[in-house]
Amino acid sequence: MAEPGPGEGLFGMLAEFDQPDRLLDAVDRAHGAGFRQIEAYSPFPIDGLAERLGFKDRRVPLFTLAGGILGAAVGYGMQVYTNYAFPIDIGNRPLVANPAFMLITFELTVLFAVLFAIGSMLALNHLPRLHHPLFDLDDFHLASSNKFFLLVFGNDPLFDEGQTRSFLESLAPVRVSTVEHTEIPE
Amino acid sequence: MDRDLRAPPNVDRRSLLRAMAASLALASAAGKQARADERALPYVNAPEFVVPGKPKWYATAVGFAGYAHPVLGKTYVGRPVKLEGNADHPATGGATDVFMQAALLGLYDPARSQAPRLLGRTATWAAFDAAVTKRRLMLDERQGDGFRLLTGAVTSPTLLRQISDLLRRWPKARWHVHETLGDTHRMQAAQQVFGRPLEPHLHLDKANVVVSLDDDFLGPGPHQAVQGRRWSQRRLARQQEQGDSNLFIAEPSLTATGSMADHRLTAAPVRIGLLAAAIARALGVGPSNNDALSASETAWIGRAVEAINANRGSALVTAGRSQSAEIHAVTFLINERLSAFGNTLGFTDPVVSAPGSGSSVGDLIEDMTAGHVSTLVMLAVNPAYATPTKLGFRQALEKVEFALHAGLHADETAGLCHWHVPLQHDLESWTDGRSVDGTVCLTQPLIRPFYNVRSLHALLDSWSAGTRSDHDLVRASWRDAWGKDFEDKWRDTLVRGFVTDSAPAAVTPSVANHDISIKVSAATGLTVDIRPDPSIWDGRFANNAWLQETPKPISKATWGNVLLISPRLAARRKISPGDELRLEVNGRRIVGAAWIAPGQDDETVTLTLGYGADRAGPLPHGLGYNAFALCSDPDSWTITGATLAPTGNHDVVASTQLNQEMDGFDFVRSVDAPDAAVKKHPETASFYPERHWDSPSWGMSIDLDLCTGCNACVVACMAENNVPVVGKELIEQGREMHWLRIDHYFEGEADELESSFQPVPCMHCEQAPCEMGCPVNAAVHSHDGLNLQVYNRCVGTRTCASYCPYKVRRFNWFEYTGNDPEQLRAMRNPDVTVRSRGVMEKCTYCVQRISAARIASQIAGRPIRDGDVVTACQQACPTQAIVFGDVTDPKSAVSRRKASRRDYNLLEEANTRPRTTYLARIRPGERPS
Amino acid sequence: MTDVAPTPHGYAAVTDQIVDIAIDYPDRRAWWICFGVALLLLLSFFVSVTVLFSYGVGVWGNNIPVAWGLAISNYIWFLGIGHAGTLISAMLLLLEQHWRNSLNRFAEAMTLFAVICAGLYPIVHLGRPWLFYWIAPYPNTMTVWPQFRSPLTWDFFAVLTYLTVSILFWYIGIVPDVASARDRAKKRRAQVFFGLAALGWRGAAHHWARWRQAYRVTAAIAVPLVVSVHSEVSLLFAAGPIPGWTSTVFPPYFVLGAAFSGFAVVSMIAIVLRHALGLQNLVTPRHLDLLAKLLLATGLMTAYGYWSEVFDTLYAGEHQEMGTLLDRLGGVYAWSYWGAVVANFIPLQLLWFRRVRTQPLLLFLISLSVTIGMWFERYMLLVTTLYRDYLVSSWREYHPSFWDWSLFAGMLGVFLTLFLLFVRFLPIISSFEVKEALFEEKGNKKEQAHG
Repeated sequence: MAEPGPGEGLFGMLAEFDQPDRLLDAVDRAHGAGFRQIEAYSPFPIDGLAERLGFKDRRVPLFTLAGGILGAAVGYGMQVYTNYAFPIDIGNRPLVANPAFMLITFELTVLFAVLFAIGSMLALNHLPRLHHPLFDLDDFHLASSNKFFLLVFGNDPLFDEGQTRSFLESLAPVRVSTVEHTEIPE
Repeated sequence: MDRDLRAPPNVDRRSLLRAMAASLALASAAGKQARADERALPYVNAPEFVVPGKPKWYATAVGFAGYAHPVLGKTYVGRPVKLEGNADHPATGGATDVFMQAALLGLYDPARSQAPRLLGRTATWAAFDAAVTKRRLMLDERQGDGFRLLTGAVTSPTLLRQISDLLRRWPKARWHVHETLGDTHRMQAAQQVFGRPLEPHLHLDKANVVVSLDDDFLGPGPHQAVQGRRWSQRRLARQQEQGDSNLFIAEPSLTATGSMADHRLTAAPVRIGLLAAAIARALGVGPSNNDALSASETAWIGRAVEAINANRGSALVTAGRSQSAEIHAVTFLINERLSAFGNTLGFTDPVVSAPGSGSSVGDLIEDMTAGHVSTLVMLAVNPAYATPTKLGFRQALEKVEFALHAGLHADETAGLCHWHVPLQHDLESWTDGRSVDGTVCLTQPLIRPFYNVRSLHALLDSWSAGTRSDHDLVRASWRDAWGKDFEDKWRDTLVRGFVTDSAPAAVTPSVANHDISIKVSAATGLTVDIRPDPSIWDGRFANNAWLQETPKPISKATWGNVLLISPRLAARRKISPGDELRLEVNGRRIVGAAWIAPGQDDETVTLTLGYGADRAGPLPHGLGYNAFALCSDPDSWTITGATLAPTGNHDVVASTQLNQEMDGFDFVRSVDAPDAAVKKHPETASFYPERHWDSPSWGMSIDLDLCTGCNACVVACMAENNVPVVGKELIEQGREMHWLRIDHYFEGEADELESSFQPVPCMHCEQAPCEMGCPVNAAVHSHDGLNLQVYNRCVGTRTCASYCPYKVRRFNWFEYTGNDPEQLRAMRNPDVTVRSRGVMEKCTYCVQRISAARIASQIAGRPIRDGDVVTACQQACPTQAIVFGDVTDPKSAVSRRKASRRDYNLLEEANTRPRTTYLARIRPGERPS
Repeated sequence: MTDVAPTPHGYAAVTDQIVDIAIDYPDRRAWWICFGVALLLLLSFFVSVTVLFSYGVGVWGNNIPVAWGLAISNYIWFLGIGHAGTLISAMLLLLEQHWRNSLNRFAEAMTLFAVICAGLYPIVHLGRPWLFYWIAPYPNTMTVWPQFRSPLTWDFFAVLTYLTVSILFWYIGIVPDVASARDRAKKRRAQVFFGLAALGWRGAAHHWARWRQAYRVTAAIAVPLVVSVHSEVSLLFAAGPIPGWTSTVFPPYFVLGAAFSGFAVVSMIAIVLRHALGLQNLVTPRHLDLLAKLLLATGLMTAYGYWSEVFDTLYAGEHQEMGTLLDRLGGVYAWSYWGAVVANFIPLQLLWFRRVRTQPLLLFLISLSVTIGMWFERYMLLVTTLYRDYLVSSWREYHPSFWDWSLFAGMLGVFLTLFLLFVRFLPIISSFEVKEALFEEKGNKKEQAHG
């Protein structure tokens, strides 16, 4: 879901709600009305909200799995390689002492899996992104406290300043406000 | 906590060592020490120029108590770095002892006196010579009246020649001899019995049965190496079941000899006389006085006499230093009856030449007090300390116009004399002397003197208007003796190290006087039994850090002497180890720390000499008590009627082994017959693959039946491997650095006491836990079976030490080597890495010697032969208890030893497969339960 | 679960109460007093380390045979404490126990700082600490690699992984709250600080979705990680051949002990914070009750470890092992053994009573005694084993020196300083998760109403 770049008219239209249930209804109705470039904002995760927006992304778990496999390979490979690269008799233990090697293999599996999980989460969320047009709206800071928002992006095919506003008004929000692009400083 | 707060600043006593190295002296030292004396001849061959990194060996000798101990000195570019025994010598055959091993540090000792002193202030040799000349001219007028010379025991032909010249020149002059702990009573006894002075020699190698009346003949002293070697030859024979080696001993305090004895009796000093008389009576010698003997005494005598009768001609009865002349005389009579003369007991004319009667230090002090002494010259003696305080040498010295002290250190005597002049160390001098069997050894310098010092010979020469060097003087005395083929003979002798067949001929004396009676005085109160210190003798080695740090064989105490008391006495008086005790005997007293010694007689307190000196120098300062304070007669070492009282204070005794009870374990195992198999734990299964070892693969076998705990190996190891000295404080904290330690264990009580020594180097385990524990590959295994420690890889996690079942690993808790004075750096073995702070170290099986042998064999294009690699400890051992070699070669000496049925692994249960294994002690007959 | 529901209804109230602590700290005087103490201890840390590094490990009481001393036993103790946070947080998250939301944040922070202290110990205890990185595998001119059969190398990787994972788990957990702090901050400095830390989080539904995926999967991985870490620490002992260490019971024994000590510390912190910052409504008696139950359970399991250790030894009847056991019960260091038994298990029994479990002061004291008891245990396991191992000749006692203790005090300083800074400047309770719990509970209520 690509957010509209500058110069594509408005960034979007934002509706504010004071109850999570209202937001859920609004999302359903917006989606029903055919809006696709929409995003919802809430102070805490709400079950099924993303799914109602058409979220079907399973990449984070997959990245995690990949990381885990890579970590295991790196961990075990490193230990076997180094022992062959410079073979030393250590207390008559076998050169490749699998029971001993398993521990570090496991640790690196975990380490890589977690790094990939969190790394991919941030990357796919395009975070960190320290500035965002929404931050220009005074009310939006309540998105992290107790208010719930629905945003229709300016690049939605159905987006039309007037109609979209009236549609949002019909969802019984606290208020509806337009979101301008942040002007890029010269 | 208070102590810990102070810990960092005075981390160890070695900081004193550093402080002692005066920078000026260093400059001269640095300048001179790298120059060999080119007139000296290398042992093997004489290359035209020095090859750096290639050692040169010189045969020479170091003196101790008048006797010369033959040594081979290893030098790198003119720096002596190690002394080893001279295997060709007829008596020692390469055997060594602690004092000889430590002589090297004696040479480099930064605390040595480095310039003449007049009344304590540094003076010049010129000023000294002027003073001597003035004095000499004055003495010339009165034929040397009032001139007295005081020396230790003398065997040096050259010195004797000089002295007799001097006395001929000055008829009224006199020569006195004072040798602390000499064999005076034994010599007197010979005089009594045979009517002429004779020196007895114990041929322990021939003695199937030895009955020792408090004679610690395996203990410290000039005879230790030779007697140890002879005794071990007998033990080895017994192991081959050729004859017996049955050792009986009656002694008040457990000694090395007592530990090796088959039948040991704990007896108060006063009982020894009775025992001697009783044995004599039982063998039909001497008068029949019938004193009541205790049951154990009777039993012991019974067994001893039985054994003697079964082995007449190969039995020997001997008495110890502290026994009276009469007791020695009686032993002579007994030995005569046993026809031991010429077999187990040999006689020669005295090896030590004495000036005759009226020449003891006692007589000297009388004359001094009477004002008959105007000029007193003292050569390498310290009477102000090492004579009984009661004799009042110090006071008498004030009556002497001109007192000169010459010695290695500015000691107590030096402090009281007008003049003190520094002497050369044997290893930087030309001299000669006789070894204990009488063979003459030539001493050649391994290095030019690097302090401003003078030879003893040159010094004495200056009193007879001579200006010859020690080299000339020694040559002169042999030129007369050898005549025309002198030069060749001189050359050969220097190369060999001793004069062949120069030992006095053996004589078989006839007894002139048969009626000897032993006066036995009943003891009242406690008996004080004074012995030489196993590490610093009578204090003459007090400045030798290696010896100070060497644990006493039994108590394992270092850096000080203790009062040995029996467990029962301790229990009765509620004394625990370290409690400070006041020992008082008719008005004179000493104060020292208690140590509880099993095998100690209940009514006897055993002291050792050498400590508590007031001007001993920074190293021994404030250590121990001075036992001379209790003595009244310079030759009697037993005092009765003493009282003991705890002062309430407590000292920490720096012992390296706090627990000596074997505690039901079987670290030291024994068998009851030479061919018996030692009890072994079944070999536990191993997960690890069997590894094939290519030849050579190194291993060691240590025979507990031979080890007398003499510590020669320990000091040899320190010298060979640059092992740092850490000092008293750190030893108290359990941080000694010895790579090779000798554990001492005992089992049982009193007469049932079984005492044994167990040298513990690194075991070089094939399945080493330390290697598995090291995270950085610093502890690894080598292709030839060594457990290596890679210092520059070590980060100091100390996991290896924690995992080591034998606790043989040593850690550099502080920087021990970085601040060593120049002299000590010069002494280091360049083949061995000097370890820095924070790394682990341990026994390497002398890997540097293995490499040397490998290189040599590769140059020669042949495999390494058995015996090519001799570890430092193995070389030092007087009893051949340690054998090292290739365990994959079944014919090698070590493999043959390991094939013995007495061979066992220490801690089999740890399943480490150690390469160092032990041969069980042989304790014939049924063992006490 | 109703009584877990925080009393201030309305999401704003929750945010205000929690986030305002970070933005505008209430009781500054008390905080400054604590922080002053912490800084003094921290000073002791720097002094001790300076002395240690300039003279060498010799300034400690260590010797041969006791080559390891207070440093290593404290390392294990700290690391053990550092196990509770992640365990509570991750395990309860997976079990959907919402009451965790009031505890997980500061529990995780505690874990983090405890692990940092633990991680410092093995480094400063080295003979040549400046070379500690040789334990890491990196291509070097010596062409030598670490020795991967060594328990120390395992520990190195385990602790490093555990530290990284804990930091990440804690950080992505705190980001949404940092965002709300950013949105509420008035002062510029605070805005910049929180603004940067929040990574631009704005609570978008897609973000939440991926965030949940990552958070849960990390939690799922963290649980076995926690178990593995202290098992490996136990191998530091168990892998060696020394009697008293070579025991297969060690890994579970250590892990349970770790959780035990960790829960004790969490309870203490919970009790102190709810009093100091008036969070009684968020950290309710119910929470204390649940913590106490966890404490009791893990305590009993640890007790089983003690028992089975004794049993094994008696059952095997091996001379050396017996010696060590008897020495632990009656030797020079018996105080550490009995100290551990008494402090760990006697007061613990009070937790069978609900009244005690919900009584903050009592629970605090019991937890304190457990924390001390576990310290005794670590000390006992290390010292009693080393000071008398195989050869009687090498037996020698160990007494920590002044510098051992000063460094220990210093480490506590490191922990306190970090924790106080956390309390002062970051949201110490997960406000968004509390709100989530509130929301879902309302949902439940509604369903009940409808049904």
